[in-house]
Amino acid sequence: MADSIQSEFVTLVSCDGFEFIIPRSAACISGTIRRMLDPTSKFSEALSGRCVLENITGIVLEKVCEYFMYNEKHKDQANVADMEIQAELCLELLMAADYLDT
Amino acid sequence: MATTSLGSQFDISKAVSNHHTIVMAAMRARHKIRAPRRIVAAAPTEDFDTLWNVLSSSLTEIHTKNASTLSFEELYRNAYRMVLMMRGDDLYERVKSLEENWLRNHVQKQVTESILPILVRAQNPQSLTDVQDQSNERRAAGERFLAVVKEAWSDHLLCMGMITDVLMYMDRITAADRTKPSILVVSMALFRDHVLRAPVRSGSDITVAQIFESTVLFMIQLEREGHIIDRPLIRNCMYMLEGLYETVAEEESSTLYLATFEPAFLSTSRDFYKEEGARLLEVGDAATFCRVASQRISEEHERCHYTLVAQTEPKIGEVLNEELIRKNIEEVVRLEGTGVRHMLDQNQLDGLRTVYTLNSRVDEKKSALTSQVSKRIVELGMEINTSSIAAPQAPASAEKDAGSEKKEKGKEKEKAVNPQTASAIKWVDDILALKRQFDNVWEKSFQSDQNLHKSIEDSFEEFINKNTRSSEYLSLFFDENLKKGIKGKTEDEVDALLDNGITLLRYIKDKDLFETYYKKHLARRLLLKRSASMDAERQMISKMKMEVGNQFTQRIEAMFKDMTVSEDLSASYKEHIRRSGDPDKKPIDLDVHVLTSTMWPMEAMAKARNGQVQLPCIFPREIENLKQSFEKFYLDKHSGRKISWQAGMGSADIRATFQRSNGKTLRYELNVSTYMLVILLLFNDVPDGESLTFEEIQEHTCIPEYDLIRNLQSLAVAPKTRILKKEPMSKDVKPTDRFSFNNDFQSAFMKVRIGVVAGGANKVENQDQRKETEKKMNDERGGSIEAAIVRIMKQRKKLGHVGLMNEVLTQLSARFVPDVNMVKKRIESLIDREYLERLEDEPATYGYIA
Repeated sequence: MADSIQSEFVTLVSCDGFEFIIPRSAACISGTIRRMLDPTSKFSEALSGRCVLENITGIVLEKVCEYFMYNEKHKDQANVADMEIQAELCLELLMAADYLDT
Repeated sequence: MATTSLGSQFDISKAVSNHHTIVMAAMRARHKIRAPRRIVAAAPTEDFDTLWNVLSSSLTEIHTKNASTLSFEELYRNAYRMVLMMRGDDLYERVKSLEENWLRNHVQKQVTESILPILVRAQNPQSLTDVQDQSNERRAAGERFLAVVKEAWSDHLLCMGMITDVLMYMDRITAADRTKPSILVVSMALFRDHVLRAPVRSGSDITVAQIFESTVLFMIQLEREGHIIDRPLIRNCMYMLEGLYETVAEEESSTLYLATFEPAFLSTSRDFYKEEGARLLEVGDAATFCRVASQRISEEHERCHYTLVAQTEPKIGEVLNEELIRKNIEEVVRLEGTGVRHMLDQNQLDGLRTVYTLNSRVDEKKSALTSQVSKRIVELGMEINTSSIAAPQAPASAEKDAGSEKKEKGKEKEKAVNPQTASAIKWVDDILALKRQFDNVWEKSFQSDQNLHKSIEDSFEEFINKNTRSSEYLSLFFDENLKKGIKGKTEDEVDALLDNGITLLRYIKDKDLFETYYKKHLARRLLLKRSASMDAERQMISKMKMEVGNQFTQRIEAMFKDMTVSEDLSASYKEHIRRSGDPDKKPIDLDVHVLTSTMWPMEAMAKARNGQVQLPCIFPREIENLKQSFEKFYLDKHSGRKISWQAGMGSADIRATFQRSNGKTLRYELNVSTYMLVILLLFNDVPDGESLTFEEIQEHTCIPEYDLIRNLQSLAVAPKTRILKKEPMSKDVKPTDRFSFNNDFQSAFMKVRIGVVAGGANKVENQDQRKETEKKMNDERGGSIEAAIVRIMKQRKKLGHVGLMNEVLTQLSARFVPDVNMVKKRIESLIDREYLERLEDEPATYGYIA
């Protein structure tokens, strides 16, 4: 999958095996993912375009991806409506955010 | 709920947003904060050391460029866990020592191995007797070494980038307390200390950095000598120096480049350019110097931008300015035979431009160039001055010879006048040409620099005013052009011509002297109707007015006014005669110019020579009648005025009848001067064959002797206009000569114009006339000075001596430069006449007496 370095999409995989395919630019909002995919570093993730996130569950990762898209969509806008986040997910999301440097 | 399909972006985003609401609804039902599942804690078997072992081997893999087998996520997660175990600091220290070991054991070895003995030898100044082959060898070795260093650096940079990325979480947590520099900074410092600052060989004093520095400088030296070097390689090495800092704080100013390399570079450059400057001076060619210098400037510019660091450019520029230019420019400018003087003479605009650019780099005022340019202008100007003075002197001596041999005089004089006037005009033309030349240089080479402009102007002013006759010459130039020069020229050309003259007028300090001459010359032009175009005259006046001011042209304008008034007056007088005069009497047409005596330069007309009071000319009866009739007419109109007749400037048309001995009668119309008219009318009363002596003529007419001689010369000596016969026949007129009417006069034309010998043309004054003009000038200036003093004192009431002097000088400087002694004398005289007083209680202060 050498061509996936230039590919516009990347695959994020949760610890429980869910795969999310989202635009690279959206995923790179996360500092961790951005570094993971940095083509100059030649880590396996950068080569394959597939990031397995061992400590994030599918539910949380879905919310994270939703946030990525949400952020991408409203990048340059002001007064954007808040994203709805269920209270139950708060803590897990916070930990994921810390981990992903988002 | 999550999609596993590999769909297009569209599908995914839709899927995500669709799920959004669904998931929300599903989740909201629980209303309970779910505790995060403790994934980290779920693997309690992983202790710190296990994790570290995995991580450290991975980091080594990164250094050996095997990163593609590693999962970033795994490494990151390991580091993350270690930090979460509260062992971040341990991790930090371990990474640090891992890096240190790596650099010391691998990189340092690699780099020092690449240093060939020749590079170390070259470090020793004594062995720097670089022969060509040695320099080639050193160069090859140097390039290899630099390449290794560069490689080591870029590897280090890349690996550290990756490692920092992996350890990002650690950096975030440990760097948060600000006590430790980030791992990247630490690794950079490690590289600096363990690679660059490592000894070349164990136990050697010489460090890799020193070799590195001297090698780069050697490369630059090679390039300066014209070799082609590997610029990108050096540039990359410079990036390394820029990426490394002296301290962990990483301030902008403490990069290794700025702290160590740049000073070394600048000091070698300084030595190099010092030597080069001396060498170029020895060659002694200014053009070469300038070419090389500007080439060096652009080379260094290029070097800074493509090989070193752009930041260095102003600094190396300053070195160039100081060593190559500032210390040498003056000598270069003054170089005999090739310097600025030579360039100016050869009109080498490019060379001058380079000199200008170089000089302006080091000196805002460009004083070296400026002084040389001014010097050359003054030199050239003085040459023009001397040649214009030399020219009239030659004929002047010829005139002296002619004086002893009086026969020659008339002819000699005729000749002597023209070269003098011509040389005056040549003087002006030469200066204008010089001015054009320098204006061109100024514009093309000196980028219209204000300072230089001023100094060029000053230089012109200087030498023009050194010629005491400049005012006269300039006025003659205008005279000549307004009489003949502008014929057949377009308006624009005339305009340009006058403008040129005006430019020179700007330089002349004694504007009052110019005014005097201009008025004198103008008077002749107007009265003798020599002016080619009245429009041009008026244009000239308006130009002078703009340049010098209203006051200056007032009197000249008054002269023009008199001319117009006189025209009307003559017309109305003719009307008056037509109405009242006797119809049977043949009327004589009279054109009178009534001139206001204060406005016109009377000395041009009434020649009170040698202090003698000249009796008015005795007019013949017919003319006397006419004169009285006009006087009556005029005084009726303007009572209380006094008319004095100036026959010297007039002219007359007469019809003369010549009785040939064969009985034929020939008629000619003669255009003669008023004096000639008076003389010729005398012969109406003289029977044929009889004659009048010079003395008789003088007695009957009272024409001043000087004018009489000249007029008789025209009538009796000039070959084409011999109306009178002279006895004896010679070229000079002596008091004993006898004159009789020449009935055999012949001419090809019906109308004959008889000019007065050497009278009508404006020419350069001779010494006597000059003295007279100067004397008059001084009187006039005295008046102006007094007027200025009184004006100032009236306003101030009380003023110190110095203050008064200054004010007088400023007030008058527009017209002339007053002599300080003269001002003092005038103050004395005003005190004597009780306009001013010395204040007793305040020394050197004057008071105004109302």
